[in-house]
Amino acid sequence: MARDVSDWPKTIVHADMDAFYAAIEQLDDPSLRGKPILVGPNSDRGVVLTASYEARPYRVGSAMAMAKARRRCPDAVIVPPRFDRYTEVSKSIMGVFADFSPHVEAISLDEAFLDLTGTNHLFGRPRELGTKLKDAVREATGGLTVSVGISGTKYVAKVASDYRKPDGLTIVPPEEAQGWLAPMPVTRLWGVGPKTEKRLHAIGLETIGQVAAADPDWLSDKLGRVGQHFHALACAQDPRRVEGQRRSKSIGSERTLGQDVSDREEIRRYLRRSADEIGRRLRRKRYLAYGVRVKLKTAGFQILTRQHRRRQPTDVADALYEDASLILNNFDHPGPFRLVGLAAYDLVRQEQTDQADLFSAPQRPRKLETAIDDLKERFGPNVLRRATDLRKARQTPNLDFLHDDEEDDDEK
Amino acid sequence: MRLIIERNALLKALSHVTSVVERRNTIPILSNVLVAATGKSVKLTATDLDIEVIETAPADVSQEGSTTVSAHMFYDIVRKLADGAQVELSLGPDEGRMALTSGPAKFALQVLPPNDFPDLSAGDMSHAFEISAADLKRLIDKTRFAISTEETRYYLNGIYLHTAETDGTEMMRAVATDGHRLAQIEVDLPKGAEGMPGIIVPRKTVLEVYKLLEDTEASVKVELSTSKIRFSFGDVVLTSQLIDGTFPDYGRVIPHGNDKILSIPSASFAEAVDRVSTLSSDKGRAVKLRLGEGKLTLSVNNPDSGSATEELSAAYDADDLEIGFNARYLLDITSQLESDDAEFLLSDPGSPTIVRDTSDKAALYVLMPMRV
Repeated sequence: MARDVSDWPKTIVHADMDAFYAAIEQLDDPSLRGKPILVGPNSDRGVVLTASYEARPYRVGSAMAMAKARRRCPDAVIVPPRFDRYTEVSKSIMGVFADFSPHVEAISLDEAFLDLTGTNHLFGRPRELGTKLKDAVREATGGLTVSVGISGTKYVAKVASDYRKPDGLTIVPPEEAQGWLAPMPVTRLWGVGPKTEKRLHAIGLETIGQVAAADPDWLSDKLGRVGQHFHALACAQDPRRVEGQRRSKSIGSERTLGQDVSDREEIRRYLRRSADEIGRRLRRKRYLAYGVRVKLKTAGFQILTRQHRRRQPTDVADALYEDASLILNNFDHPGPFRLVGLAAYDLVRQEQTDQADLFSAPQRPRKLETAIDDLKERFGPNVLRRATDLRKARQTPNLDFLHDDEEDDDEK
Repeated sequence: MRLIIERNALLKALSHVTSVVERRNTIPILSNVLVAATGKSVKLTATDLDIEVIETAPADVSQEGSTTVSAHMFYDIVRKLADGAQVELSLGPDEGRMALTSGPAKFALQVLPPNDFPDLSAGDMSHAFEISAADLKRLIDKTRFAISTEETRYYLNGIYLHTAETDGTEMMRAVATDGHRLAQIEVDLPKGAEGMPGIIVPRKTVLEVYKLLEDTEASVKVELSTSKIRFSFGDVVLTSQLIDGTFPDYGRVIPHGNDKILSIPSASFAEAVDRVSTLSSDKGRAVKLRLGEGKLTLSVNNPDSGSATEELSAAYDADDLEIGFNARYLLDITSQLESDDAEFLLSDPGSPTIVRDTSDKAALYVLMPMRV
């Protein structure tokens, strides 16, 4: 079905390793092969990080509480995660991708976009290209499989890689993409979670094709600005580029609020939460930030930003929040605001910076924060919350649909 | 108001007060200078609400009065008048404009009412003393490079002026630090300063005072309280708010047990650091110092541009040591050293290092290393 890749305006590949953590465990320990296994901490409150394909018929999957998964699949072997090993394997996979294209956007340890536009003379048609990529990954890892989707946009490529898992290869020529998406349920739209799914169903939209056929203005009326976004995706339009060598330039967290806010203390509470989130992500990615930027969107959709460059880079949420709180004083606009965002930019690798400080005061908050990181890693993101957040939590869903993936939440 | 003043006298006074006026102001009157004619002089006042500078200049006053005009514009006009010219300032009956006349040149400057001009009332000052201009300049000059500009640690955005005991004698000590380096200098305690509170004098204030002191040899009268400080000398009075914060206990970051001592000619060391750091990037790449018996090797390695090394002979006989420092910081400190030789007191690559003049024990610098 595929013609020459050169006919495609863009060739975007999405490669997604199959049950990555579980597959590595089965690769390293032959006794686990063919058995249902759950990778994750073996405690009642832990969550499943990955379930092997053998376990999936029992309706267990990532992010499910370990206790629940064990009830559903009592025979499963529970394997504690070994992140060092996963990182090591990830490096060799990313190395394979880099052999195919200089434009590789790693989304997480086991997932990446590749821009292979104009490479048909090197790798052949999409099917050949996909097969070569899969073979190369299998060879480099000693037997792991990857599912590959190839199309003209990031969105369709991502849906395609998930279309026939595991070990799949799905090619969707750009001109067939919209029709190919049409019968799929709206949950396949990037950014549609259970809540949005309900809202879409409520206005009579069950399939992607129905979303594509709907009037975008009407969608915006019903859903807010994300309506336009869903419509574009449903029409297989997704202008985002593969971000090349992705050294995330900034890490941000922002919230479109259920209710507009003007009160500075309330804005600070959102900034506090964003700071916690950003601090955690900086530490996980081993970055330190020099820059701190606060973003407010007024009720009239005017975007205001103020920023500050630190003398000493940090990955400590307390320090980010302290900066954000000072920066907030530089906004004259009285509000109300519909979005509150915080971003850390001007990032350097932890091991790159290295001016020691005479008064290394941030050590104590950092220790506390890394302890919390560990807890969340083991018991899930909701194990600890700030008391100030409990009351408001329900009203403020994070609508930032670009941040749909837990691992990939860098600000674009 | 009507007065006549000589252009140079007016220009000097204006240049002194105008430098505290911020170029951009949200409160319009802060862009203005207050001109007040009384007796045989004119008093010029400018403020940014944190600092107020008043300078008095002799003038031939025929009618007392006051007004405010744009400081920068006033200064620019006077600057362009002929050397030694007579300048007449007057406020017309409608008081809407200040007339400035000098020979054939006539200006009418828009005014704002003098009553609106903010008064940085000082309140009661608890301590007063006289200090020589030389000592005050030294306190500022040796420490100002280390003042922090980081907003979050605002209490480091100034010089910490306090009394401290050294070898049984009360001294007046100034300390500044940005967390990466620290500078400490002391002078004899002026009479009247005993028991003064430790105060943090903001960066802008010390830089202004230093500028104003440039050609002053006389002594400076200092008055202070826990919230304000005032410097009076010559025709100038500068009053400033202090930073309301607690300066960290800097004593605990000054190491006492550093027993590896490197002694090296300051000038050739600074030149060598400057040369090898040509390759370091602006984010402050480290210069590596490798110390071995009788010699010091400086090196910079920048993956983006190349590498450089230079070997110097030096007095050193402790164990070999490798330590990295920000090149900029090394240069800042060596430029403060006055004697021929610099002394480095080192411990290990992760601990603070002391740098000092071999001949001047009143000044002390502490430098945090970089990981290399």
